[in-house]
Amino acid sequence: MTDPLITRLKHLIVDTLRLDGVTPADIDENAPLIGSGLALDSIDALELVVKIEKEFSIKIGSSEESRQALASVNSLAAFIRARTAG
Amino acid sequence: MAGPVASGTVFLKACECLTPFGHSAETLAALLRGERALQPRSVLGREGGDLVPLALLPDRALDETAPPSWLAPVRTLLAPVNDAGWGTARRPVFVTSSNFGAGSLYAYRRSGDAAHMEYGALVNCVAWLSKQLGWHENVAIFSHACVSAHLGLLQASRVVQAGLADEALVFSFDFLSPFVSGGFNALKILNADFPAPYQARATGSIGLGDGAGYAVLSRAKGDFTISAQSMYNEMHHFTSNQPDGAGFEACLAPIAAQAAGRRLWIKGHGTGTLDAGRMESGAFAKVFPGAPLVGWKGSLGHTLGSCGMVELAISIAALRDGRTPGTIGSGAPTFTAEVALDSFANDRYDGVICASNAFGGAHAALLLSHA
Repeated sequence: MTDPLITRLKHLIVDTLRLDGVTPADIDENAPLIGSGLALDSIDALELVVKIEKEFSIKIGSSEESRQALASVNSLAAFIRARTAG
Repeated sequence: MAGPVASGTVFLKACECLTPFGHSAETLAALLRGERALQPRSVLGREGGDLVPLALLPDRALDETAPPSWLAPVRTLLAPVNDAGWGTARRPVFVTSSNFGAGSLYAYRRSGDAAHMEYGALVNCVAWLSKQLGWHENVAIFSHACVSAHLGLLQASRVVQAGLADEALVFSFDFLSPFVSGGFNALKILNADFPAPYQARATGSIGLGDGAGYAVLSRAKGDFTISAQSMYNEMHHFTSNQPDGAGFEACLAPIAAQAAGRRLWIKGHGTGTLDAGRMESGAFAKVFPGAPLVGWKGSLGHTLGSCGMVELAISIAALRDGRTPGTIGSGAPTFTAEVALDSFANDRYDGVICASNAFGGAHAALLLSHA
């Protein structure tokens, strides 16, 4: 069964970054988001961080934390779960 | 890939800066005492937001005013050299900044006050500033992010060396605004932590500071000389450095050639980010092994496009004084053994390399010494 958070994040990425020709189903949740995989750049990362902070009411504290969270869709989901747990 | 762009010798007739501590002498004294100008402040000014380390001029709020609150201290800064002849054919002015009036655009957006638009774009801002300071039409504008001041110095040096000008005024400024601090905060490199340049720690962070400075360049001998300048752009990525750090070394090559056999200390860029700090300090240790490396942004914050000029003026003050401030805000372990955490006597050195770096793998360095 598909993880609803993973699905939500894939939609959020496509919508936020207006990825032409990419559908949520095209995104491999294990593939690197930045640099390879979807080949997102640092400006895309900035847009994603701002959107994720607003959408999930969480704070990403540093660029190192941001890089870790955005390693893949799976790692982003794990990061959000850890921040919103409890 | 093109090699670095370099320039030969030029003399400094005058050089001064403005920081939250005052001008270069006051700033040097504060740095030697290990004082930190950075204070926790709301990243978006009156709109609040996270507390981040910012260093503002005394009594200056982060929010823009119309006219800008930095005009009066800039007038005071320039007073010793400003006269009716700047901006004429033989006495050009080179204005450099990374943000100019960008914050005023945001202020207009927030307030709807059209008065902000007079300063809200690069050309408008410099035209207004020229009018305020009485400069004539020979005013050039240079902007290249955080190496803007070096770019202005390099271009002005070429004009002076070629005999196209009797002397040149390079003026550099960057004053913070919610637009600028909010942008760096969104990137997460401006966060709650104070910067610790060249320190090997788990997460990096920068601080931001107000800064301005000027240099009057001349072919006539002065007390100090810039005997080599270099700029190099990796053309690797529009924000990131080349991962192997080769761009830092490439920029230093012309400086190393000129500096052969000289005993040097190094004023690095050192913002407090980890990757760039590691690559920068590694390049210095490789090209200039044993030369002590200091960075002052742990106290002053990163003054962005003006940092090259601000830190040049402080370096001159340090050469006059005989003491070099250490890397304030940092501690062990550092990326390289050359990082100097404490102040030291500089009278046994022949000169200083002043370096700055910018988004997208842009690098700049110059060799400063007593004439």
